[in-house]
Amino acid sequence: MSVMLTKFESKSNRVKGLAFHPTQPLLAAALHNGSVQLWNYRMGVLVDRFEEHEGPVRAVAIHPSRALLCTGGDDYKIKVWDIRPQNRRCLFTLHGHLDYVRTVQFHHEMPWILSCSDDQTIRIWNSTSRQCIAVLTGHSHYIMSAQFHPKEDLIVSASMDQTVRVWDISGLRKGSPNQGGPGGSNAHGQGAFETFDTFSTVKHVLEGHDRGVNWAMFHPTLPLIISAGDDRVIKIWRMSETKAWEVDSCRGHFNNVSTALFHPKHELIVSCGEDKTVRVWDLAKRTAIQTFRREQDRFWVLAAHPTLNLFAAGHDSGLIVFKLERERPAFSVFQDTLYYVRDKYVRSYDFNTGADMGLLSVRKFGSPYVPPRTLSFNPAERAVILTINSENGLYELTNLPQQSQGEVKDSSADGKKGSGQSAIFVARNRFAVLNKTAQLIEVRDLSNTVVKSIKPPVQTNEIFYGGTACLILSSPTAVVLYDIQQQKTIAEISSPPVKYVVWSNDSALVALMSKHTITIANKTFSQHSLVHETIRIKSGAWDDAGVFIYSTLNHVKYCLAQGDHGVICTLDNPVYLTRVKGKTVHCLDRSARPRTITFDPTEYRFKLALLKNNYEEMLYIIKTSTLLGQSIIAYLQQKGFPEIALHFVQDTNTRFELAIECGNLDVAMETAKAINRSDCWERLAQQALKQGNHKVVEKAFQQTKNFDKLSFLYLATGSKDKLSKMQKIADARGDPMSRFHNALYAGDVEGRISVLRDVGLYPLAYLTAKTNGLEDVAAEILEAAGLTEADVDDIPSFGTSTLNPPPVITPTTDLLWPSVSTGENFFDRALVNGQLEGGVEPAYVNGDAAAAVNSALDAWAKEEEVHDDLDPEEGGWELDADGGEFQDAVEAPVADAEEELGAGATPGPNETELWVRNSSLAVDHAAAGSFETAMQLLSRQFGVINFVPLKPLFLTIYRSSHTYITTYASLPPLKLHIRRNPSETSPSRVLPVGVRSLASIRSELTEGYRFVSGNKLAEAKNTFRSVLESLLLVVLSSDEEAKQWRETVTAAREYLLGVSIELERRRVAESEPDNLTRQLELAAYFTQCALQPPHLQIALRSAITAFARANNQAHAARFAKRLLELKPDPKIVAQARQRIAAGDRNPRNAIEISYDEFTPFEICAATYTPIYKGSPSVHCPYTDAAYLPQFKGSLDPLVELTEIGASASGLPAAW
Amino acid sequence: MDSSDLYHTQQQFTLAAYQAIIQQPLPDESSSDYTPSLLYKARSYIALNKPQSALEIIPTDSDNVALKAVSSLARFMAASDSTESEAALEELRDLAVEIEGDDAEASEKDKSLVRVLAGTAFARAGEVEEALETLGSETEDLEAVALIVQIYLSISRPDLAKKQFDRSKRWAEDDLLLQLIESTIGLVTGKDNYANSSSFYTEQIGNPSLSSSHLLTARGVIRVLRGEIQEAKSDLDESLQQSKEDEETEAALVVAAGLGALKKADAEELWSKFAAKHPLHPLVQDSNQKAEMFDQYASAFIQPAVAATSA
Repeated sequence: MSVMLTKFESKSNRVKGLAFHPTQPLLAAALHNGSVQLWNYRMGVLVDRFEEHEGPVRAVAIHPSRALLCTGGDDYKIKVWDIRPQNRRCLFTLHGHLDYVRTVQFHHEMPWILSCSDDQTIRIWNSTSRQCIAVLTGHSHYIMSAQFHPKEDLIVSASMDQTVRVWDISGLRKGSPNQGGPGGSNAHGQGAFETFDTFSTVKHVLEGHDRGVNWAMFHPTLPLIISAGDDRVIKIWRMSETKAWEVDSCRGHFNNVSTALFHPKHELIVSCGEDKTVRVWDLAKRTAIQTFRREQDRFWVLAAHPTLNLFAAGHDSGLIVFKLERERPAFSVFQDTLYYVRDKYVRSYDFNTGADMGLLSVRKFGSPYVPPRTLSFNPAERAVILTINSENGLYELTNLPQQSQGEVKDSSADGKKGSGQSAIFVARNRFAVLNKTAQLIEVRDLSNTVVKSIKPPVQTNEIFYGGTACLILSSPTAVVLYDIQQQKTIAEISSPPVKYVVWSNDSALVALMSKHTITIANKTFSQHSLVHETIRIKSGAWDDAGVFIYSTLNHVKYCLAQGDHGVICTLDNPVYLTRVKGKTVHCLDRSARPRTITFDPTEYRFKLALLKNNYEEMLYIIKTSTLLGQSIIAYLQQKGFPEIALHFVQDTNTRFELAIECGNLDVAMETAKAINRSDCWERLAQQALKQGNHKVVEKAFQQTKNFDKLSFLYLATGSKDKLSKMQKIADARGDPMSRFHNALYAGDVEGRISVLRDVGLYPLAYLTAKTNGLEDVAAEILEAAGLTEADVDDIPSFGTSTLNPPPVITPTTDLLWPSVSTGENFFDRALVNGQLEGGVEPAYVNGDAAAAVNSALDAWAKEEEVHDDLDPEEGGWELDADGGEFQDAVEAPVADAEEELGAGATPGPNETELWVRNSSLAVDHAAAGSFETAMQLLSRQFGVINFVPLKPLFLTIYRSSHTYITTYASLPPLKLHIRRNPSETSPSRVLPVGVRSLASIRSELTEGYRFVSGNKLAEAKNTFRSVLESLLLVVLSSDEEAKQWRETVTAAREYLLGVSIELERRRVAESEPDNLTRQLELAAYFTQCALQPPHLQIALRSAITAFARANNQAHAARFAKRLLELKPDPKIVAQARQRIAAGDRNPRNAIEISYDEFTPFEICAATYTPIYKGSPSVHCPYTDAAYLPQFKGSLDPLVELTEIGASASGLPAAW
Repeated sequence: MDSSDLYHTQQQFTLAAYQAIIQQPLPDESSSDYTPSLLYKARSYIALNKPQSALEIIPTDSDNVALKAVSSLARFMAASDSTESEAALEELRDLAVEIEGDDAEASEKDKSLVRVLAGTAFARAGEVEEALETLGSETEDLEAVALIVQIYLSISRPDLAKKQFDRSKRWAEDDLLLQLIESTIGLVTGKDNYANSSSFYTEQIGNPSLSSSHLLTARGVIRVLRGEIQEAKSDLDESLQQSKEDEETEAALVVAAGLGALKKADAEELWSKFAAKHPLHPLVQDSNQKAEMFDQYASAFIQPAVAATSA
């Protein structure tokens, strides 16, 4: 038999009391050493400790809805605690019991606390007034437990006096028990006990245990009581309104039974005792099902979680939290269907429709208490293999019914069984079964006969599908990819025991999940990466983009193939992921019910795009979602994409840092200006120096007034005029060192001498003059120093000084060293002017190739546009100001910066440009005034080549998309652009107003119909033409509208064709009245146009008249028959019948015409002759009107817009 | 502090109730309000495109730079050829330079007005950069800000316009003109479905102390922008009743008609009437220009012969 599924275990002093938190994964444990522990059993951490009781604590309870904990100890006290971490404290203490408190419990709705004690009383306390409101007396020994009934006003208690008692406390609810309570009036004191008895009465006394009773509780729904006693027996009692009686006993424990519980959901009893066992019993049969033994520790207490399949047991050296059964449902996903097991039924769930139905019962498969462990689905045979843990592992192969029948069949009928721990399909007609003890893998065919036996190369605990003809073997230290056919190991990855394996949708990647690790490998195991989780990993599924989404106990996370992972959302309860589709995760919850979680995939999509360098998608994500915050910036920085992070950041300081990091000097400069701190300028100078951009260096040095370095920089760049300016500045500053420096750099000997003279260094001045051959200056100095030649004749004579600044060979003042590319990257392009614009929709948006083409075109267009914005900044800080006043010069860049805001404002992208960029509809381009692109689009989409008829339309549309308003006196009016959706302001989505709506065009079409009915054919023809023209330039917003649009086009074409034919007939009738054949043909063709019944009637009647007159009676009769089908007026019916009769009498045609109504044909819109089915024809790319092949390449005569037979892409779906 | 009459005039001017200003009698010549009122009156004439009337009321011998500037602007507007307009622009340039000098006697207010008028003329002449330079981005004159904002908007830089506006919010408090500026920005950006602009004009239409058909026109335009075509039409019609043949209103009506307020044929008729009447309106000019472009582009497509009708 299987072992207990231990979820959590802690070591501590003896545990005497346990209580689950109803909603959070918290468990309170009362310890024999006086401490009360609060554990988070899911995370395995001790959340809190409450240590105010003296001596052992036995009683503990958590409030069903509030953050309250109640404890009772051997110090006779009951304490109520606030367990919220921020204000955890003992709220109050209830005094009253005169001996050990054994159990406490909160009432489920009243503010009552129930306690029982060795002082032989049960007390009920009001937790609001903190007073004892009832004392139940009657037991004649220690009372070991007392429990409220979950619904009714009843209490059940168990006592060492060998009885279980049921108390009726309905009086307590009705009365106002607080009055006269012992806390309220001390005068009554202990003597007031009688008063309480009126509120509560002993309803039943259950006698039957031969020893003291340790525990008694009510069944949550049935009128049953369970009790456990020192007589090693668990007794089940039934009660009615009037009496209660013993139903049965469960024997098996061989020492005192501490606790026995009804399972909250199943018909089971769970008990524990001092015989160191936890036992599970069948409530209906009263037979033992499972026994979990512990070597050392006696069990003292058992608690059940109120809603989950979770139990806790306290023993001599701690506590354990355990499950009785695996909750992970067996499931398997095939395409859009999930096959899974719930309540021992195999079910299918359609991800798209949500249809969920039972297919097969597996009730008789294995133990009735154990759910199947795994399910493997074979789509070819529509069969499943289930495995189950009971009876040392079983498998069963069953075919699923083709259609869901009324009655679900049981697998035992035709299932093929066998023993084995793990069984999976490995091919269409083969499955593999692992026998763990024998370490043998058998491959069997569908009739369950062994076709091959494999000895696995490693100790194998579980097998999984490993791709075609391969198995994945999970061993304690590794996973092995094993080829069944060749019987050899293909690859091996060391890993903790793998428990689940999930293949990606394209079978390129596989996720190998163990308890705490996920290994993502490719299908040959040649590449892999590892994710480690501290929390238990529960399940996982692949996203369509190749991202692995997995769930742990409390999170849904994602993991990229290279190993990056992160949290998507948190979970209250574990779920088992089955399928990820877009933003939806399909999963099964713990009770195996399908549900979905919607999440935001932005973060991992972004990271994925980053990995794949898919900048377009990244930009799209940046634009469309609120992906912000420090974490993503830190991520980008950490992954070495500071230049991308730059685009997320508004904060100037961070921007500066990032800009420095990625060497984007322009941004760094800009932000440095904003920050304007000397350390920033210094860092900018350093970075710019590294990149060789000495202009930026210059500016930075100027900002920090770093004159020395500036001078040196000028020397290095050979900028002589600037050096001379520096000299002037140095003069102005009166700094002799600086003056000397600059003079030296500039090669200005006189300057140097004059500095030396000014500071009184005559000897140096003299020598400088002397060595530079400036004899008269030297003499002057001597004179100034009051000396003569003679006085200095002891000075050795030096040769002429060669000290000179190096000559400038290549002036680099205006050259920038080829530095780090200032990165005109995708983002810079997209983010010109600091605003996110542009309509680069990634190609996948609607999976439409056209979109991709357009976005590529847009990207091109954009590239061209931005070049002028990228001019390197002008040297702003020109030093040619004559005065040489440095202060003035420093002022200059400031003014400059302001100028930029003021006069130098470059025009931004016009709204019409945005429209053009955002749309691929000709009408939007026309509205934007970009007629050229509009025409190109029309020509590409519909093959339009003659635009002249469209001119008024274009102009109307353009005109109607812009309006003007003067907002301030005498200024030229402001041009405003009318948008399609006024609530949309994002530059990447604005679109022009739709000037003509489909509805308005359709009403125009109706007008055309009226003209036809009124026999104004010329007007009708114009109207239909205009309709067809307008339809080229209409905004559609849905598939529905697109369909309507196509219908309208077709209808207008048919009418236009029909009207044209009829007009031609009238022309022929007038100009060549003898050409009867042609007239008749045209009349016949007119009837072949797809007109609406009333108009078709007109066509038919005119044809009948014409044919009858020409004595083509057979044809006339045919038309009359067709007329009858349209159910016309009775008068017309009568005429038609006459025609048919005439035709029957004389079924002949006087004139032979080219008209075969029995072969379907189209009518050439140029010649008005039939093109019978099967004959070659060309079509108008817009209206689809048919033409004889010789017209290919000419202008269609019908609407006079398109080139016949030109290729066209059709209307793009823009919604 | 301005007198209440002057304040009222200013409000009217801001809300384009030019007709009302013109009809008001000027105060006594000795009054301190005289010159400012005269300025507003003259500017109203100019705004109504009657520069000759403006020139008539401006005394030619005044030393006041603002008056000089107004008459220059009037001459600029009245100019029939480029030499005349260039001369007027030159005058304004001189004035703008003159007031920059330290020895200029003009009051700060007059100086800013000169800048505004010069800026207006420059903007009209298409000298965006010069206009912005003249107005100065650091100005604390709200009229100048209004101009700057509009200029920015006209070159599709609502971001800069917004910046200017935000800057002026700091010192201009809740001036009517400031609200107008905000609403103007809203017209271009379309923020919150033009809510701001719409409520501004609706509010001002309800203002009992003045009435201006311009407000109705403006609201009509906003309604067009919001896609409420029928409502827009009723606003515009009402506005036209108040001041017949207003060019701007008619232009807006043409657009509304094109968007379905009128039947196709009627809309075409309205348009051709409008185009004939106001050949200089940007809508007409723009449209004509586009028509030429259309012909040019359309001719780029090589047209094959029409498929013969008789085979």
